[in-house]
Amino acid sequence: MNTLLPEWLNPAADEARIREMLSPDSRWTLEHLAAQSRAITLRRFGRTMTLYAPLYLSNHCSSGCAYCGFASDRTTPRRRLEQEEIRKELAAMKRLGISDVLLLTGERTKAADFDYLRTSVATAAADMQRVTVEAFPMSVAEYRELAEAGCTGITIYQETYDRARYGELHRWGPKKEFLERLDTPSRALEGGIKTAGLGVLLGLADPQEDAIMLYRHLRHLGKTYWRAGLSVSFPRIRPQTGSYQPPFTVSDHLLARMIFAFRIALPDVELVLSTRESPAFRDGMAGLGITRMSIASRTTVGGYTDPESGDQGQFDIFDDRSVEAFCKALREKNIEPVFKNWAHAYNGPSSPETDERAPENVNTWN
Amino acid sequence: MDSLHLGSYTFSSRLILGTGKFSSSSVMLEAVKASGSQLVTVALRRFNREQPEDDLFTPLSAIPGITLMPNTSGASTAAEAVRAARISRELSGSPFIKVEIHPNPQHLMPDSIETYEASKILAKEGFLVMPYIPADPVLAKRLEEAGCASVMPLGSAIGSGQGLATAEMLRIIIRESNIPVIVDAGLRSPSEAALAMEMGCGAVLVNSAVAVAGDPPAMAEAFAEAVAAGHKACRAGIMDKSGMAVATSPLTAFLGPAS
Repeated sequence: MNTLLPEWLNPAADEARIREMLSPDSRWTLEHLAAQSRAITLRRFGRTMTLYAPLYLSNHCSSGCAYCGFASDRTTPRRRLEQEEIRKELAAMKRLGISDVLLLTGERTKAADFDYLRTSVATAAADMQRVTVEAFPMSVAEYRELAEAGCTGITIYQETYDRARYGELHRWGPKKEFLERLDTPSRALEGGIKTAGLGVLLGLADPQEDAIMLYRHLRHLGKTYWRAGLSVSFPRIRPQTGSYQPPFTVSDHLLARMIFAFRIALPDVELVLSTRESPAFRDGMAGLGITRMSIASRTTVGGYTDPESGDQGQFDIFDDRSVEAFCKALREKNIEPVFKNWAHAYNGPSSPETDERAPENVNTWN
Repeated sequence: MDSLHLGSYTFSSRLILGTGKFSSSSVMLEAVKASGSQLVTVALRRFNREQPEDDLFTPLSAIPGITLMPNTSGASTAAEAVRAARISRELSGSPFIKVEIHPNPQHLMPDSIETYEASKILAKEGFLVMPYIPADPVLAKRLEEAGCASVMPLGSAIGSGQGLATAEMLRIIIRESNIPVIVDAGLRSPSEAALAMEMGCGAVLVNSAVAVAGDPPAMAEAFAEAVAAGHKACRAGIMDKSGMAVATSPLTAFLGPAS
């Protein structure tokens, strides 16, 4: 087995600027970065925020990630949603106005395997405008099937690019394989998935070093898969089942600095902020660099139809405001919340070579 | 007053407005009204029949005197754009379609090959096809031959505010075209829109510059005035630039007086 790191993870010629921006004691003050980041965001994305919500399909898991509430050694009750239950959850989400859904599972298990995921994607794509997936690493062929079922994007976090830390944290299961995971976004894009969302779980290792590696990964994907849409999330470790204590603390100031630095270094990528963060931080960052946010999130399996469900989520939500309250806050900042920013017509694998040039079926639902 | 002709449609306004990126749909609607635009583009992906608050199509179609031009922004292939165009026509009833195909959602550069393929198909199906293209004079002629109602070359990258970075290519496209040339994307200020019109564009399309302005309706009005002034100037015949001084000792004195 080749255990060498790929060449693109080596320092690149164009990363001096982002490294400097990421450093709190650089000549780039936070205020300076914020002003530039805001101007770029405004020009490129306007005064809008695209909204999505996560749907946890299953919390079965085969991996032992030390920091995760769904790790296979936790006593959390295990459950997966059946297709009828998924439809009910989607209906509850649609009543909130959501039309862009992120489907989540744990690592691959018999209870939640590829066939289950593909069926669930098709179920969701029948109801929702845009369906993306955050699940387990798959093969190129599986990703193509997923794209054909209506999945347009995947999210796959490396969690940390520090290989030694990675080894310690991923105690068992398929996720233990660092290189296998590193290669996953490439396989997805090769399989015709249109967008890949990357991120590190901030707090697991040196945040600035992880951010630089993440930047290299994004540049590599952008150059190799030129059609790819890329997004970056900035999840900080939140309290969850198992009460893992992260070795690094990422302050609000540092997180803001990272977001601004990525916006300036990668002006066109989507930057995502979830309900892990506080209402004050989310409201503050809206318009300054973030272009996509989750809303009204439940991180429990079945959480939309049964908000009181007793089982514990993957992590604790910080911003638990209602859709109305959150949208009101955005509007007060002169930012339009956008629920639908996609159309069914654009589903399907990315590469045009395999497309029919003139589809006959006109009656596709918008 | 001369008009802009696109298919069987006639417009007195030569400012086409885009409807994305605004802070709210009410601000957007105010800007559309203030602009006096009669042709307005809206993305199919922003049609939302299930949630009126999130929908851009219905409130726009309620403004009197406006023709809507759906666009396929979000499509990355010809097949997707064709599918989106057909759905847009069913939903909006408009024969116009702005073909926008950007395979890379980051930089939003139009794909010439896919755009040509989709435009050819849609023109045959009777659409008034308005393709968003790189400023490529040959592609513009190919699209004219394919039956497009206009061509919409970019002034510079979408949302970049770099103005008419492609001016030299635009001049060739305008000079050679038998269909209206509409500069789309990159315009930052009314003076740039005026310049595009002075160069002989049939119209300009503006979105970001209005949407992110401090006062979008006022900026929309400013663009409308600049577009009208630029067009009037073009029609009136703009004097030639002549930076050349005439030599005091004539270079051609040796030729003797003309007979």
